[in-house]
Amino acid sequence: MSKRSLHPADDGRMQSGFAAFPPVDRWDDWVERGRHYHLVPTTCFNCEAACGLLAYVDKETGEIRKFEGNPYHPGSRGRNCAKGPATLNQVLDPERILYPMRRVGARGEGGWERVTWDEALDDLAGRIRSAIQRGEPNKVMYHVGRPGEDGYTERVLAAWGVDGHNSHTNICSSGARAGYAFWMGMDRPAPDYANAQCILLISAHLESGHYFNPHAQRIIEAKQRGATIIVMDPRLSNTATHADHWLPTHPGSEPTVLLAIANVLIRERTYDREFVRRWVNWEEYLRALHSGGPPIFERFIEELERLYADYTPERAERETGVPAATVVEVAHAIARAGSRFSAHNWRAAAAGNLGGWMTARCVFFLNVLTGSVGTEGGTVPNTWAKFVPAPHARPPHPTTWNELTWPAEYPLAFFEMSFLLPHFLKEGRGALDVYFTRVYNPVWTNPDGFSWIEVLRDESMIGRHAALTPVWSETAWFADYVLPVGLGSERHDLASFETHAGSWIGFRQPVNRVAAELAGVAVDDTRDTNPGEVWEENEFWIELSWRIDPDGSMGIRQHFESPYRRGEKLRVDEYYRWIFENSVPGLPGAAAEQGLSPLEYMRKFGSFALPVGAYARHEDVVSDVELAQAVVDPTTARVYTASPPAPSSNIAPLPAPAPDAAGRRAVGVMVDGVPRRGFPTPSGKLEFYSTTLATWGWPELAIPTMVESHVAPEVLDSAAGEMVLVPTFRLPVLIHTRSGNAKWLNEIAHTNPLWIHTSDAERLGVALGDLVRVTTDIGYFVLPAWVTEGIRPGVVACSHHMGRWRLDQGKGLDRWSSALVKLEEHGGRWRMRRVRGVEPFSSRDSDSGRVWWHSAGVHQNLAFPVHPDPVSGAHAWHQKVRVSKAEPGDRDGDIEVDTAKSHAIYKEWLAMARAAPGPDGMRRPYWLLRPLRPSADAYRMSDKPAPSR
Amino acid sequence: MTRWAWVIDQTRCIGCHACTTACKSENEVPVGVFRTWVKNVEVGTFPDVKRHFAVLRCNHCAEPPCVDVCPVTAMYQRPDGLVDFDHEACIGCKACMQACPYDAIYMDPESHTAAKCNFCSHRVDEGLLPACVVVCPEEALLFGDLDDPTSKVRRVVGDQVTTVRRPEQGTRPQAYYIGAHSATLDPLAARHDATYMWSERGAHDHRELVPLTRRSTPQEPARVAYDVPRQRAWGWPVSSYIWTKGIAAGLGILAGLSRIVDLGGARATDFLAPLIALAFLTLTGALLVGDLKRPERFWTILTRPQWKSWLARGAFIITAYGASLVAWIVLAAVGAVGALIVVAPVVVVLAALTAAYTAWLFGQCEARDLWQSRLLLPHLLLHALGAGSAVLMIVVALRDAQVSAALRGVFLVAVLGAGAIALADALGRHRTANGAAAARALVRGSPSRLFWIALAIGVVLPALLVFAGVVGAVVAAVFALAGWWLHGHAFVLAGQGPPIS
Repeated sequence: MSKRSLHPADDGRMQSGFAAFPPVDRWDDWVERGRHYHLVPTTCFNCEAACGLLAYVDKETGEIRKFEGNPYHPGSRGRNCAKGPATLNQVLDPERILYPMRRVGARGEGGWERVTWDEALDDLAGRIRSAIQRGEPNKVMYHVGRPGEDGYTERVLAAWGVDGHNSHTNICSSGARAGYAFWMGMDRPAPDYANAQCILLISAHLESGHYFNPHAQRIIEAKQRGATIIVMDPRLSNTATHADHWLPTHPGSEPTVLLAIANVLIRERTYDREFVRRWVNWEEYLRALHSGGPPIFERFIEELERLYADYTPERAERETGVPAATVVEVAHAIARAGSRFSAHNWRAAAAGNLGGWMTARCVFFLNVLTGSVGTEGGTVPNTWAKFVPAPHARPPHPTTWNELTWPAEYPLAFFEMSFLLPHFLKEGRGALDVYFTRVYNPVWTNPDGFSWIEVLRDESMIGRHAALTPVWSETAWFADYVLPVGLGSERHDLASFETHAGSWIGFRQPVNRVAAELAGVAVDDTRDTNPGEVWEENEFWIELSWRIDPDGSMGIRQHFESPYRRGEKLRVDEYYRWIFENSVPGLPGAAAEQGLSPLEYMRKFGSFALPVGAYARHEDVVSDVELAQAVVDPTTARVYTASPPAPSSNIAPLPAPAPDAAGRRAVGVMVDGVPRRGFPTPSGKLEFYSTTLATWGWPELAIPTMVESHVAPEVLDSAAGEMVLVPTFRLPVLIHTRSGNAKWLNEIAHTNPLWIHTSDAERLGVALGDLVRVTTDIGYFVLPAWVTEGIRPGVVACSHHMGRWRLDQGKGLDRWSSALVKLEEHGGRWRMRRVRGVEPFSSRDSDSGRVWWHSAGVHQNLAFPVHPDPVSGAHAWHQKVRVSKAEPGDRDGDIEVDTAKSHAIYKEWLAMARAAPGPDGMRRPYWLLRPLRPSADAYRMSDKPAPSR
Repeated sequence: MTRWAWVIDQTRCIGCHACTTACKSENEVPVGVFRTWVKNVEVGTFPDVKRHFAVLRCNHCAEPPCVDVCPVTAMYQRPDGLVDFDHEACIGCKACMQACPYDAIYMDPESHTAAKCNFCSHRVDEGLLPACVVVCPEEALLFGDLDDPTSKVRRVVGDQVTTVRRPEQGTRPQAYYIGAHSATLDPLAARHDATYMWSERGAHDHRELVPLTRRSTPQEPARVAYDVPRQRAWGWPVSSYIWTKGIAAGLGILAGLSRIVDLGGARATDFLAPLIALAFLTLTGALLVGDLKRPERFWTILTRPQWKSWLARGAFIITAYGASLVAWIVLAAVGAVGALIVVAPVVVVLAALTAAYTAWLFGQCEARDLWQSRLLLPHLLLHALGAGSAVLMIVVALRDAQVSAALRGVFLVAVLGAGAIALADALGRHRTANGAAAARALVRGSPSRLFWIALAIGVVLPALLVFAGVVGAVVAAVFALAGWWLHGHAFVLAGQGPPIS
């Protein structure tokens, strides 16, 4: 049976007789320009979207000729952004690391020698084994950038019993995640753009963000059907330029606009009254704050009207710069769309501001008011569209709590306080024996990179640093081992992302290995078919785990044994084979229809769409089995059951609302007398009033409201020339520090000038291209100005991605994208100056001699102090800055920073936090999501005092 | 019939550049050059401002000037309308780059031959859509047969308002744009600055930075926010070729004419003038061949000429002129002076054609409206006459220590005439915006210094000095020759100055 291509122009749909891809039945031997190819699907490893790719593997040479899209991938549907095809550059990059390396001399001095994988494995395994046996498992830390996979590595850490997961998420999406989670438990929205009538983006999904290409496809589809597009961004993004309504708000004032829209919906009574009545925890709100009166809905409505009466469109105009008439117009468009209103806050305001998480909470408030939660064309909770199939062995939760990642000061932090690690280490809160950075570059990506360098250099703070990375990075330079791991075509990963109203799994594959196996060559180790000794992490972790526990006595090895060959070492294909055979509903049947085994099916098609619905799951009625042993709490209407959960092969993490006093599981909520599944929140409903926020120290923020940002107009001394710097925006062609190795992408974008409005530039006497100095709280950086009408006056912006640097002329970072710099330090006072920009260089790729661009941009993040939001824990990226003409002697790319100042600012922000314990002596509300969730016992705070400030 | 076409829907395009990299991947396009790219233009003032995109590439014109100008059929049009190129045939003369009004053609730095978008002809011939069409996330790029009533391009072109790039060029482009802002398609509507919003312009990008038009009004400012760097196709070798060819032609004309009409002592140059002409003609050939990216293929112009191309025709004219000069020299050497009267008219005609054909060649350079001026032909003829008489004046002055008034007269007329034409061409009205912009570049842009110096030392000084004794005549001649080179160079540069995409 043939499978239908998902590409809209395939199979003659654009032009009869024309296909978009070679027919799948010829993928095993496709001939093009006289050469024979295996066509092997995989997924892109650039951004998190994991779009499908199709690698053309030359049958004779084994070289990959090109990457196209995968027409069977349900998210990307055969199409890609610029980064997909550019994967080829990354694979063929003459600058890439092909062999493991070990440092020679002091850390960061730049001496390297080649080492075997065995040597590195033995050293690391010995140290990890020792830490676990000493009872200090948390001295092992795994710090991951965007994982691009679901569950594999968390399983490894759980098997080791280590609460050592650390992510980048608190410098990225966690602000918005917190805002969503306090409403619905689940922390991400999955907007059903394709079916929306109105789309509100506080994000730039037509050029970046998760999931750029899949989302951009569906947003434009909706626009072409006539949907209204609203974009909130102080900068004219490529997304904003497509908007029907561009709202260039002053940074930090976004909630005011959103609440003004709510004000219009409420005042004009155009919200979905039935939805609010049925699904909002208004009774809880009345019980908590107005316990005197009767718990009737009309009273709540009166409360709503009262609470938001002040947020008038006129006030929004005053405080945000968005005209009142526009606010009303936008509110009407949202009201008209009703349940077909898709909204999304991703990074942007939520990642920029103190209280940024409230932006997401306010935007979801509009979804709630319009009843567009979980609807067709509305906004779906992400786990309804995500499927993480269970592996064969699931280790228990770690039983320890890691104070370095989950410190008591931030009980509601939505992810690890990763970016505070240097400060925690400096304060002596702990030390690390083994620190893995995995495709992650905190020295460059995180704020306050010089503090990172300071602790990475210190072997008393970090005993061993192993960088798992396909390319050099600023962080890898400060590692003990640089361990080359595969790119998107050189590794196995399994991922499922909520790109639309539907679930899928996508399979990343080492395409040369697959091609070799198709050609009848047995491959036991991905290194055998990858370039050089490039490995895949999955096999690395298996091997490392066996070396940590060689005889199985520590209970670790058992999780890395084959489900098919008792006691034997797990092979990576067996891991996935078991999942595909046992945990993906519908896959074995679909494979059988093609005459394939489930693993063969996934190897051939690279993805699978699951037959599960994504809409209105909250309306599901609790099953009879569960109801048979259920009780309903008379006050809260929460339904609890003593029956165990139905087995599910989907292990996508879900919030865990507390059981009742008798230990029965929260399974639903009574709505109009019917026991429905509801939402995984304490109340089972959408929490307009968050009891969690109220009882964990933030009662004033328990409902959607306004939090004054650290860059609010009232905070700025504009008379003294203070402006807001928006440093987070991304370009469509680059992806953090993963794309410096792609020549085609860097050829398109290689500078990050300061976007400044014409009027501000005139005031400062700055013309386009002139150098300006941007002074932050801890230092300054120098860069050219891009004078433009495409930014709000009073705001400046500088794009992410650029400003890559290396300390050695010949190695340390890709020369396509990095400058050679000189770094000086005197007692925490750091100075960076560019010695040489990007230049042509000789290599096996003749294109390297044709490099025509010179700038590498400026590494602005170095000049940013940490700004941990006291609630969400997210870093607030926006900076209050002074912009001035460059001073004599200033050069493009100059940076100066004082890390003593950055530590002082850390202390200032730390003082805003409200520490655990919360109710019942807990470190953190158990019900909230947490990566690598430890056992419930670990949540109890010990008697020892909270760490000193 | 089949008529392949693009439809490029800018209402869908999000400026993601996927088409750019997919094309680079599919066609192995080197760094520094592009077959397709996405121009970004910011239009308006905050908050009423938009960033507009335009995907730019070969239009596969129904009447492709690149094909007409190609001397060796390396650039060719297939019966299905697809304009393709042949790496094996191209001699690297870059004339197609001057002919294409859309900046679509580049010289491949690996093969040193011309290349551009060819609809992914290798895919199309296998029934696969072009790579950019497949990768585009937004279905903004459509490919198909306009003659096929079931094709999507046919339906879209039938149903929607479409525009094409620079229709005034008369090339009938087969790339139809939907919703493209005029500031993106009109190359002169938006200003270019020294940098773009996330990229440099490229150190070798030759396009003029001075405002070339006044169309970008303060109420609706338009600024190019992203564009790709351009190669300059022709530089000093072409300027020098015009100069050496002018001298060679002028000497031939004068030598021939002096056989027919006595120009005062010029007859004494029967042997020397054609010899010097032949030397400069040889130099011309060397410059032409040397400027080819594939000089070893130069002879294929004669073996596989494309007869519409004035480059091919010119090669034959130069060859014939050279042959006539050789005949003259041989006759003069053997003392058959009487026979020269027979050869003289042939030499004069071929010399005049040698001087003149460049006007028709430049006329085929559809991308360079300045070069298409009707004044170019008389200018080239006067240039030849002036340059020839200048060299002759120097020769006779050195030999006879005197210069005839007739020769000085011819020189003065040529100098003043050519100077007047140069001024009129630079300051007069131009039929197209591109021509006007190039003229503006000539008098105000980066070549303007060359231009004004050329007029000063090549026209004013010689006019004042030519009758001031023998020394004055020689000095006048030397300055005029220098001035002509400078003017020619300024003209070649200015013509390529305005952005055309």
